[in-house]
Amino acid sequence: MEAVVNDFVQVLRNHGLRVSPAESIDSLHALKHVGLGEREVVRDTLRATLVKNRDDAPTYDRLFDLYFDLRPSAEKPKARLKLPDHDHDHGAPPARLELGEEAGGEAPDSEDHSHEADDSTEMRKYFSEDRMRPSNDIHGEAERMRLSMFSQELILNRKPGALESALQRLTYHLKLRRSRNMFNPGGLVPEVGGEELPLDVSAVELEDLVGHLHDMEVDEALVAELEAQSENILRGLPELIKQMQERDKLLKKDARDDTELRRRSLRKMLHFSATEQRDMEAAVRRISRKIQGAKTRRLKEDRAGRISVPHTLRHNVRYEGVPFDPVLRKKREGKPRVALLCDVSLSTRNLARFWLHMVYQMQSLFSKVRTFVFVADVAEVTQLVEERSMNAAVDEIFSGRVIDADVNSDFGKAAEQFKNRYLPTINHRTTLVILGDGRNNGKNPNAAALEEIAQHARQTIWITPEARWGWRLGSCDMPLYEPICDRVEVVRTVEELAGVAEELVKSRV
Amino acid sequence: MFRSIEDVRERLAEQSYVSDNRLATVVFLATRLNKPILIEGPAGVGKTELAKSLAGATGRDLIRLQCYEGLDEAKALYEWEYSKQLLYTQVLREKIGQTLAPTEDLREAAEVLRGQEDIFFSENFLVERPILQAVHADERAVLLLDEIDRADEEFEAFLLEFLSDYQVSIPEIGTVKAKHPPVVILTSNRTRELSEALKRRCLHLQLDYPNGEVELQIVRMKAPDIGDELAGELVRTIQDLRTLDLRKAPSIGETLDWAQSLVVLNAPKLSKELIESTISVIAKYDRDAQKMLDHLGVNAKESRDLGQKEPTGERPEEAMYEMHRSVHKHAH
Repeated sequence: MEAVVNDFVQVLRNHGLRVSPAESIDSLHALKHVGLGEREVVRDTLRATLVKNRDDAPTYDRLFDLYFDLRPSAEKPKARLKLPDHDHDHGAPPARLELGEEAGGEAPDSEDHSHEADDSTEMRKYFSEDRMRPSNDIHGEAERMRLSMFSQELILNRKPGALESALQRLTYHLKLRRSRNMFNPGGLVPEVGGEELPLDVSAVELEDLVGHLHDMEVDEALVAELEAQSENILRGLPELIKQMQERDKLLKKDARDDTELRRRSLRKMLHFSATEQRDMEAAVRRISRKIQGAKTRRLKEDRAGRISVPHTLRHNVRYEGVPFDPVLRKKREGKPRVALLCDVSLSTRNLARFWLHMVYQMQSLFSKVRTFVFVADVAEVTQLVEERSMNAAVDEIFSGRVIDADVNSDFGKAAEQFKNRYLPTINHRTTLVILGDGRNNGKNPNAAALEEIAQHARQTIWITPEARWGWRLGSCDMPLYEPICDRVEVVRTVEELAGVAEELVKSRV
Repeated sequence: MFRSIEDVRERLAEQSYVSDNRLATVVFLATRLNKPILIEGPAGVGKTELAKSLAGATGRDLIRLQCYEGLDEAKALYEWEYSKQLLYTQVLREKIGQTLAPTEDLREAAEVLRGQEDIFFSENFLVERPILQAVHADERAVLLLDEIDRADEEFEAFLLEFLSDYQVSIPEIGTVKAKHPPVVILTSNRTRELSEALKRRCLHLQLDYPNGEVELQIVRMKAPDIGDELAGELVRTIQDLRTLDLRKAPSIGETLDWAQSLVVLNAPKLSKELIESTISVIAKYDRDAQKMLDHLGVNAKESRDLGQKEPTGERPEEAMYEMHRSVHKHAH
C-alpha cells in the first residue's frame, strides 16, 4: 500500500501538485481507517489529505482515474480488500492465492519492509496492469515502469517477499533522489542535477539488489535482464541531465541573441509550471510590501509600537492606575491600493499571458487591486479575474469578448479613455502599475494623458518586456513615457520580476 | 465518536444536515485521525452549519471563535485577569503581611514571596478564550474557527502549534496539552489564500453549491411546510440561476429564505408575479436581480422603481459609482 500511495503521490507531484511527505503519511494513516473497500471513499480520502488547493482538484480527479484504473475483469476488489480498521492481520488474502502462489515466506532480510511489501503485492494486483502498461503519459519514466514490470514477473514466479522489498528499496532510493527536485516536477534541475544524481549510491543499491537475487537463486536470465535494465536507467540518467542542461543552455543563449528565437523560448517560459507560479507569488508578495498605501496619519492601537501614556493611564484606571496593561500605538500601513493597467495586444500576446498571471497573483493577494486591460480600448477586468480561475480569466480576456484584442495597440487612446473613465479610481494612495511595451504603432503617444493619470497616483511603475536598447527601434514611445513614471523596469521572466521586487524592497521609492 | 462513514451521514441527517459521501468521509477521518478540517467554499453553503450539526450530533459543546482582522492571542487563547489579581492582592494584603512578618530582611522576604508567586500566576487568574476552553474541555469539544481567512497571517502562524499538537504555550504557566483533542473546524471564504503550512495540517474539504437533488432534500428538511411541487420548482429555478454570471449567486441560505417566504405567502406555485415580487430575497444586488428576471423571462422593465441606474461605466460619475461599489464590496 505504501508503495502504491508513494507512487501515486509522485505522479501528482509530476503534475505540479504540491504534496509534502507529511501529507502522504497522513493519507496512509487515513486509509488505514477507512479501508480500501470502496473506490470513492479512497478517492475522497486521498483528496482530503493530499489536495489542498481548489484548482488542483480536477487534475487530481483525472490522475486518480488514470492511475487507479481497475481491471474490468471479474475481480471485484470490494469484498476482498477491506482492511478492517486497525486490524493488520491479512491472514491469507485470496488476492494472492489467486495468483497461484504460495504466499508463505516472508522476506528474510526485510525487517521493516516486510509488512509494507506484503501490502503492496496485494495492492499491486489491482494496479498492476496500469503499472505494467507503459503509461508514459502519466509517468514519463519508462525505465522504472519496466523495472516494476520485472519485479512483477519475478513475484509471479519466485518468492515474493525478498525481491519485492529489494526492488522497493531501489526504487525508493531513486525516488528519494528524484524527490529532491520535487518542487520542479518534470525536470531535473540543471544547476544541481549533475551533482545531485550521483551514480555511486544507486550503484551500491543495485549491487545489493543483484546480490540478493543471486542469493535467492532466481533464474539467471531474469537477473541478467534486470541488471541490464537497471544499468540502462543509471546510464540514462547522466545522459538525460546533460540533455536537459544543453537544452537549457540553448534556451538561454537564444534568449540573448536572436529575437525570433527569443520569442519562441519565451513562449516556453510562459508555459507556467507550478514552481514558477510559486516563485511569482513570492515575488509579488515581496513587491507588495513595498507598494503600501500611505501611512495613516493617526496612530492606532496595535500589538507593537510605542507606549501611549494617556491611553495607558485611561485604560488602567480600573487597576488603580497601575499600568498593568500598557496601550501601544503605532502608525498603520494602509492596505496597498494598486491599479494594474495591462497591455494585451498582439505584440505582447506572449507576455500578456505572463502579465495576467502576475495580475492574478496580485489580485489573489491583495484586496484593493483593480485590473484594467487595454489594446486600443480600456476595460476593467477586476471582477472577471476575481471570479474565474486563472486560465479561464486569461482565455476570456484573449477571446476578444472583453475588448477587441486583435487591433494594433494604441496606448495613447487607452490612456485617454482611462483618464476619462477611471481617473476617479486613482487617488494619492494608489500605485499605478502599467504593463506594456509602449509601442503605439505610430499613433499619438499622448504622454499628456499619462502624465495626468500619474499625477493622481501615488507612484507609477512601468514594467516593460523590452530592454532599453530596443526602445529606439521601431515606433516605441517608451522614451517619452519614461520620465513620467517613477520607475521603469524591464521584466521578462519570473526571476527578473523577483529581482525587481528585491530592488524595490531595498531602495525606498 | 463515529463508528463508520455511514454513521456520520445518519447522525448528521438527524441534525437535519444533508451531507454527501465526501463530507462524511472527511468528518469521519477527522475524528479518527484527530486532524482539523479546513472547509473552503462560497458563502452560504453550510460550512458553519456543519460545525453546529456536528456538535449536535455528537452531543458535545460547540466553541466558536469568529476570526477578524486584528484578532490576537488575548482574544483567541487567554488573557490575564489583572483586576482579579489586584483584588486578591488587596484582600490578601494582611495575610501577606503576616507571611512576611517573621522574615528578617528584604532578601528573605522576597524569597518567601517568590515561593508564593504561583498563586498569582495560576490558571485561576486566566480568562479562558475559545481555544484554551477547547483545550481544557472535559470531553472532545467541537471548536469552530470561523472565517479564518479574515484573520491576519500572524494569527494563522500562531495557530500552527495548536492545530498540529493540540497544545498551547502560556509563558507563565507552561505548555498546556489537551486531554481530549477537540474536533477543530476551520472555515474559509477564500478572500485570501491561506498559508501552505496551515493547509498541510488540515484535512481539506471543498464545499460547493449542492446539486438539485441534495438541495431539494435540504429544502424539504428545513422548510417542511412547502409543497412538493413548489419545492421542486423552486430548486430548479435556483439551480438555473446559479449558472448565470452573477455577483452573488444565491446560496443555500437564500434558497431557504425564499422557500420560507413562499410558505408565508402561501403560494401554491411559482408564478411570474411571485418571482418578481420576491426576487429581492435571493438577489443581493440590483443588477443581479435584473439579470435573474431577464433570464427567467419576467418582464420587469416598467416596474424598475428601485432607483438605481445600471452602471455602464461610460461617464466619469458612473465610474465613481463603480469605484464606490467596488470599495464597498472589498470592505466586506
